[in-house]
Amino acid sequence: MTIRSFDLLQPRSLPEAVEMLARHGDDARALGGGTTLIILMKQRALYYPYLVDLQTIPGLGEINVESDGVRIGALVTHRRIECSSVIRASFPALANAFEQIGNVRIRQTASVGGNLAHADYRLDPPPVLLVLGAEVSLFGVKGTRTVPLSQFFTGLYETALEPAELLVDIKVPFMPENSRAIYLRYNTLSANDWPCLGVAAFFANTNGRCCELRVALGGLASTPVLVGGLDFVKDQTLDSAVMERLLETVDQQIAPFADLRGSEWYKRRMARLFVKKAVEQLHDAW
Amino acid sequence: MKREITLNINQGLETLTIDDADTLLEVLNEQLKLWSVRESCGVGVCGSCTVLLDGQPVSSCLLLAVRAAGAITTLEGLQAGASLHEIQQAFVEERALQCAYCTPGFVLTVKAFLEENQNPSDDEIREYLAGNLCRCAGYADIIRAVRSAQAKINSGTGNS
Repeated sequence: MTIRSFDLLQPRSLPEAVEMLARHGDDARALGGGTTLIILMKQRALYYPYLVDLQTIPGLGEINVESDGVRIGALVTHRRIECSSVIRASFPALANAFEQIGNVRIRQTASVGGNLAHADYRLDPPPVLLVLGAEVSLFGVKGTRTVPLSQFFTGLYETALEPAELLVDIKVPFMPENSRAIYLRYNTLSANDWPCLGVAAFFANTNGRCCELRVALGGLASTPVLVGGLDFVKDQTLDSAVMERLLETVDQQIAPFADLRGSEWYKRRMARLFVKKAVEQLHDAW
Repeated sequence: MKREITLNINQGLETLTIDDADTLLEVLNEQLKLWSVRESCGVGVCGSCTVLLDGQPVSSCLLLAVRAAGAITTLEGLQAGASLHEIQQAFVEERALQCAYCTPGFVLTVKAFLEENQNPSDDEIREYLAGNLCRCAGYADIIRAVRSAQAKINSGTGNS
């Protein structure tokens, strides 16, 4: 046995799971797909005497279409999102982000809720979910609350989740007409590795002029960045002056740190390059 | 915590006493002596501990045995009697192995892949198999073996 012995608690409902987490405090952790937590426990980087198994709670593994968007249960696997006909049709950029994560076995096991709650800075889904305006539902001792994803990531591996609170689902609103989104992942090591950076962009267009542009970047600093202050693109055509102003705005709002996949200088350069590429590809698709 | 579980493995049921902290890989190796399932990286990157869970490839080194609900298939469950599965046959014929440590993981992954995609391009094969590492670097032979296995399966020769 590589992992130190623990008790797997198997709740049948969200209130029961929250009660277990509250009762055991720092000795308990929620277990989603397990692809991160099990590795960290095998490496003995983490230990919890109690793991609360979210797979035994009915209803967390569903993708539901609602009138204004799609609700993805926390325990839905990456592979199901990647292959879901609804997601592929409504949010192709999201399916594209999920299909580039790790390898097929990891995607078969890892859960979307676990992915977001872990809040690694190099995750692929957050930039796309941010430009799509997604929000997450959280359930805890005080009941349910909804948090925009833009307020969910609070630091390196830190989120808005309170102790004994669980991420229940992610709601992705349908995209307006005449809008498109894209995700570009840039790998500097192997294809299955974490990215050096990931860039998502959303572009809405009326008669060849831009009506809204959103850009988000992951892999650069402790949290993903949804770039603010892009209102200047409204009613503009995306010429080189607008593009330069966009890249300057992005540059001012990122604070890359160096890791194995690129230095600070390099990441800054690549952020400019990939934001330009993403926005141009969206624009040229019209 | 110790508990008794029943695993649905290679079309049979096995009731075992395990610890909650046991990975499926540990149970398959230590209790069931299914040695085709091999540990290498231990972190889900290399694919040598691949098993099929309800037909889909997963890393058994990252799966707690207690949570392995579903039909598990290892390489030992692929053969019918003495004759090899078409994919195994294709790997032999194309010599798509050297040390063969990675081979069971590749064969199972190819099985899941060809069930999902009966007419894959070379790029699709590479993409799907990207998570299986072969340190002898027999990748060109492996891709040929996938093509050959696909032809065998599509023509309905051999057993499957």
